[in-house]
Amino acid sequence: MMATQAMILEHAAAMPAPTWHFLKMNDTAIEIPEGLEISPHVKVSGPAKILKGADDIERAVEGAQEAWSAKHPAPTQQEIAEREAFLAAEVDATYGGTAQSDYQKHADALEASRSLSQAFEHGLGSEAAMFLQRVAGKRVVVEGEAGQNVEVDMIVKSVPEAVSVAAIDVVAKCGAEVNVRVTVDSQDADNGTNGIAGTTIRVFADVGSRVGIERAQTLGEGYIDLDDIALFAQDNAHVTVKQTVLGADVSFTGLAGDLRGQDSNVVVDTRYLGRGMQKRDFNYLLRHHGPRTKCELRANGVLMDECSKTLRGTIDLIRGCKGAEGSESETVLLIDEGVRNKTVPVILCNEDDVAGNHGATIGHIDEKQLFYLASRGLSQEEAEAMFASAIVEQAALDAGSSEIRESVIRLGERLAPGFDEIFEEEEI
Amino acid sequence: MEETVTLESGKKRTQIADVDRSRYDFRYDDSQAEKLDAGLTPDIVREISERKDEPEWMLEHRLHSLEVYHGMQMSDWGPSIDGLDMDHIVTYVKPPTEQQSDWDSVPDNVKDTFDRLGIPEAERSYLAGVGAQYDSELVYHSMQENAAKLGIVYSGIEEALHGEYAGLIREKFMTLIPPTDHRFAALHGAVWSGGSFVYVPRGAKLDHPLQSYFRLNAKGAGQFEHTLIIVEDDASLHFIEGCSAPKYNVANLHAGAVELFVGKRAHLRYSTIENWSKNMYNLNTKRCRCEEEGEIEWISGSFGSHVGYLYPMSILAGCKARASFTGITFAGRGQNLDTGCKMVLAAPETSASVDTKGISKDGGIQTFRSSVVATPSAQGSRCTVSCQSLMLDDRSRSDTIPAMDIRCKNVDIGHEATIGRIGDDKIFYLMSRGVSEEEARTMIVNGFAEPISKELPLEYAVEMNNLIKLEMEGAIG
Repeated sequence: MMATQAMILEHAAAMPAPTWHFLKMNDTAIEIPEGLEISPHVKVSGPAKILKGADDIERAVEGAQEAWSAKHPAPTQQEIAEREAFLAAEVDATYGGTAQSDYQKHADALEASRSLSQAFEHGLGSEAAMFLQRVAGKRVVVEGEAGQNVEVDMIVKSVPEAVSVAAIDVVAKCGAEVNVRVTVDSQDADNGTNGIAGTTIRVFADVGSRVGIERAQTLGEGYIDLDDIALFAQDNAHVTVKQTVLGADVSFTGLAGDLRGQDSNVVVDTRYLGRGMQKRDFNYLLRHHGPRTKCELRANGVLMDECSKTLRGTIDLIRGCKGAEGSESETVLLIDEGVRNKTVPVILCNEDDVAGNHGATIGHIDEKQLFYLASRGLSQEEAEAMFASAIVEQAALDAGSSEIRESVIRLGERLAPGFDEIFEEEEI
Repeated sequence: MEETVTLESGKKRTQIADVDRSRYDFRYDDSQAEKLDAGLTPDIVREISERKDEPEWMLEHRLHSLEVYHGMQMSDWGPSIDGLDMDHIVTYVKPPTEQQSDWDSVPDNVKDTFDRLGIPEAERSYLAGVGAQYDSELVYHSMQENAAKLGIVYSGIEEALHGEYAGLIREKFMTLIPPTDHRFAALHGAVWSGGSFVYVPRGAKLDHPLQSYFRLNAKGAGQFEHTLIIVEDDASLHFIEGCSAPKYNVANLHAGAVELFVGKRAHLRYSTIENWSKNMYNLNTKRCRCEEEGEIEWISGSFGSHVGYLYPMSILAGCKARASFTGITFAGRGQNLDTGCKMVLAAPETSASVDTKGISKDGGIQTFRSSVVATPSAQGSRCTVSCQSLMLDDRSRSDTIPAMDIRCKNVDIGHEATIGRIGDDKIFYLMSRGVSEEEARTMIVNGFAEPISKELPLEYAVEMNNLIKLEMEGAIG
């Protein structure tokens, strides 16, 4: 039996541009307990290959690299010299050129490398992604051929004292449409046990393809959830990601995307509930390379009891992404006194012809809303409970598969007995 | 100055000239000034303290700070300070004069410096008091009679350390900015020199502002002034701080500290127009503590420096205390200005608002960095943060890194930020109202900086507009 060794993945889910350390927001540490059995329990329905050492994504990225390099020739020595001369003008060598921060130097180096594989980053960071890949063993490969429509449902069923991880590669070829729905769930009776469930998903969306990833996590207490996504979008590709985080004691959700192709579009919609002493950690990074690329990050959550949540969201508008638009919005409802919410919505920008914006609203139920609800006979506590259950209810209503729907209803029932009945009424 | 270039796309882009620095970029021979050796040793710190005839506790404070400095690392998140070699920075430069209260007694070259910067003229026309620091020492300090009659004290902090308020200074000095806060706070604690002390007694309200102007003339030197302002309950003050330096081909350092104490129902407006030269590392720290219903307003314009780290912090410690931060940062060629603010909501029903504008051009980097922390005591508090960045070309960089840490339930925290160039819809709207395109663009860019300039006294607003020189023609970008 293979088992985990105790380890801490330091500096996981790090945001590229750090800020003050006293805020403790720059990254996170993922603690892997010792002795968990490595035993993936992954069930797949639909056309997918389960392979060891699958390299479809690598081949796709290599192909993209060739096409991209041909279309974007490296700057000539003269161009480099001109730019350096421009930046060096009026700057005396004795105190250096523009004093870039480490992250700014790193960003420039990444661009100078012209390597698409290097730019293919993981939301939880490379170390966490490697760990997930290692414990997952084989990869599930979902491929959509040109013009094909592929639908795949997967369940990662976590069991006590084990690590259950699915490594999934999604390759949508030109014009294909691929939808992958993943339920990360545990047995109802597993509360209070120890275990890790997770997924590491790599997406390559080729020219004109459409990819939909829906992931719902409804793990019981005692579990750690690791959700890692890496995206690469070619010209006119559209990728939508829907993440629902409802269970697990500790959850780490990370997504990194490279909008390399022109007119590519990524939409990320996240909903979460935090209660008890749960910890929620989110890290998003979307790098716009291609002209007229668009991204939209939306996060909505409810925090109760004494839970804590951190959300790092970075939109990087890189020189050359003319006409790009990036937007980020977050709404957090704080229900109880003991909650702690950290948010850092970052926009990095070195292209002028872009629009980047972000907004965050953090607080309690609006007084007008409370007044209205009171006029309908609801006390503040009842109103708060209603807002919390609405997150779960909405997740069930919007579920893209019966598996996701059932797991969300089961979780709702665990939280509030009778939830399934309310839901049935809603259905009618 | 400006010129218009045509891009490949056919769009026109207006080239905005750098700030005209000729008014600031002059220097005088500093051979007459007394300088201590470059570098940082306990002996240098002892010598600074001895020259100032300081009380023993201050020497101990300096030596402790030096120890802290040597034990701390520079932060890894901000602009590089690799070009700053502390072994070559002279931490103490005494100009060849003592502090004067009569302008005619100030030596000619120093007097000429401040004349050219317009300080005496400003004093005559609208200021209630002026302090002028040249390198490490104050050279001039004066206050109008009407301010003195209100019981207001405005003097050099070192002078005050030997007077009636010595006890108060000891009680407050570096309590808001402890040397352990960061490496340059520790450095400041070790080698600070000069700066102002302002005491506004209970209920006193000063109609005209006080101003301190800091000029760093010596090459390869550091300026470490300490400003301590205490505004007692129900009192009110507007304080203006200006800074400039001539350009040298070696790094200069400014690591000042500003500690502000605002009493109950008191009001303080702290305005800064920072225009250091482009060889300056500006690592300044500013902090304010507001008691019940007290209010701090920060107005901040950052134009100069090679590297800037500047984040005034407001600690709202009393119920219903208020803070606002209004700032503009303009980063041109060779500059990396990392600016913003910190808000700490630490009492019930406090409110804070942040409104910032950033402009970057010609490869300049400007970063807006902020933190809003609402502690468990901040029930019923509100905070809004709004930051807008304007990119004038695609060689520059504009980053926004706002953080929020909310630890209680009944709060209302809002944040919004935008980055980009001038929107076509705005131009279209103005044109539909009969304004020409060119005029529309000019209006929009002027309007971009307007929330800041309208908060400044007229003379400073004009000065700021001179600094920006955003005269528009055709399209930007």
